Amino acid sequence: MSQMETNIIQNAVPVRIGFIPLIDCAPFVIAQEKGFFLDEGVNVELSKEASWASIRDKVTFNLLDGAHMLASMPIAASLGIGTIKTAMQTSFTVSHNGNGITIGNALYEQLQSLADSSTDIRTGVALKRLIDRRSPELAPLRFAVVYPYSSHNYQLRDWLSRAGIDSDKDVQIIVVPPVKMLDSLKLGGIDGYCVGEPWNSLAVEQGVGHMLVTGYEIWGSTPEKVFGVNSFWAEQNQATYLAIIRALEKACLWVDEANNQSELLSILSHPDYLNCTVEQLVYGFSAIKPKGQFDWPMKAYQRFSGRNINKPLPSYALWIMGQMYRWQQLGEVESLNRIAEQVYRQDLYNKALGFSEEGESRDWYLSAEEEATWLNSVATGKVCLHPDGILTGFDKSVK
Amino acid sequence: MPSPPKKELTVMLVDNEPARAAIVEQAMIDSGYRVIRRLENAKHLTEAVTEFQPDMVIIDIESPDRDMLENMSRLTKDNPRPIVMFAEEDDSRHVEAAIRAGVSAYVVDGVNSGSVKALLQVAIARFREFQALRSELESVKSQLEDRKLIDKAKGLIMKHQQCDEPAAYQALRKLAMDRSQRMTDVARNIISVMELMGGSK
Repeated sequence: MSQMETNIIQNAVPVRIGFIPLIDCAPFVIAQEKGFFLDEGVNVELSKEASWASIRDKVTFNLLDGAHMLASMPIAASLGIGTIKTAMQTSFTVSHNGNGITIGNALYEQLQSLADSSTDIRTGVALKRLIDRRSPELAPLRFAVVYPYSSHNYQLRDWLSRAGIDSDKDVQIIVVPPVKMLDSLKLGGIDGYCVGEPWNSLAVEQGVGHMLVTGYEIWGSTPEKVFGVNSFWAEQNQATYLAIIRALEKACLWVDEANNQSELLSILSHPDYLNCTVEQLVYGFSAIKPKGQFDWPMKAYQRFSGRNINKPLPSYALWIMGQMYRWQQLGEVESLNRIAEQVYRQDLYNKALGFSEEGESRDWYLSAEEEATWLNSVATGKVCLHPDGILTGFDKSVK
Repeated sequence: MPSPPKKELTVMLVDNEPARAAIVEQAMIDSGYRVIRRLENAKHLTEAVTEFQPDMVIIDIESPDRDMLENMSRLTKDNPRPIVMFAEEDDSRHVEAAIRAGVSAYVVDGVNSGSVKALLQVAIARFREFQALRSELESVKSQLEDRKLIDKAKGLIMKHQQCDEPAAYQALRKLAMDRSQRMTDVARNIISVMELMGGSK
């Protein structure tokens, strides 16, 4: 690209993209710093945001054009849950996995005395025993998640409920911003949390907590963050939108390339981004949490690229709506198929990356009969994720 | 004519900008509202909301603690009066004005929406005023200063390395990234080193 072309692009009105300083904002940062946005002819301005609520509100009212979003966020906004109803969509999944559940040392010690084996601790069985034996006079154990409409909230509640723990009655679940999780755990304000990396590994590394299980181990491989946009903006600016998706895809490949890791960590640690030390980031990126440092090895498998990783999956939107219903955030919804298709846009993903729509499988569509009972089937556990994760689909044969 | 706002609405103000919080609080009191608590940081925010039970919480949009409030509408056991961010679509114009001014607001379900809107207007006006004041004083000044520093450093690099402007800019950017520093800090270092070496004349 000539200097003149570069100048013209850089003088264009920028596309404003918000991000939260977490490890999985990496593709946005890399697309900017390595010039992938520029290569696609787009002038992007990244804006560091302080909360998920701020991201949602700014995208709703066009102070931002798009953002690094929780995968459930465009669904919540499009349904008008917890906010003014605004059509949002995603045509690109930024990452799969990366969450984990960690508890403080004091709780861990109590669980050890009630566990016959480490499995009892990892599965929540020991926690259930503890809750059953605790005096009802005591304040309930308190767990934190990062946002009410998040995989963190749903994964924590799912994990608790598999052990027979009622996540509304037996424990208290509150929201704490990721950067404050470690301190809250240290000061005893909370007993445990479900959060993205590096906040699980860091608790272990600093000796303030024990990581029990990863999101991957609870749900298999599932989308974590997406590039979410205001649907109105997407319609008005389709060429730019598709160009950004191409740049993000390149960035995702770059992020997953092992040879790039030291440069990646150095860029991410910069004050404009995560504003931390490189050492603090190294832990969060390990695919397998090693035995020795951790109480047992765990599969984390945070992924930014690979077969179908970046593809928007309407089936996941169906799953998330089931979770929202299960935890009383959502009432009945008509036409689940239509919402899933409008919010998770496979067609635009294919168009951006030059994939044919022809071979696109529609097997995620629910039949009329399934659609009518879907939310209830997910809520009652009649439908589960396939153990390998959403890319393999659902397990509808349970019980 | 709409009826005058009912004045018994109670407000909690959360703002880590003490000067602005004071201005907003005064304006609210002048308009006849009761600010029951002003928090300069959101430590124990949810506990404070539970304890003081305000009808409305006004919080800086840039506060990282907003997400904590987002959860309160579900905490029915601990918080008998659920709090919601404006969720009615006919409020969207008010909310947009608020968001643009940097105000976000949470309201207890079922309070008089006329009073809420009137109070929101007071907050919006003061936030805007403060924003204008601040951007005039700080932002413009520091941006100009930043630009001057970067331009000066670029000039020095161009002269020293005999390269063109884009190359000098790239070198500066790379240095900033490698050192995990801001561009302006790197520029300042370059200038001071060059001046030490007598190369800036």
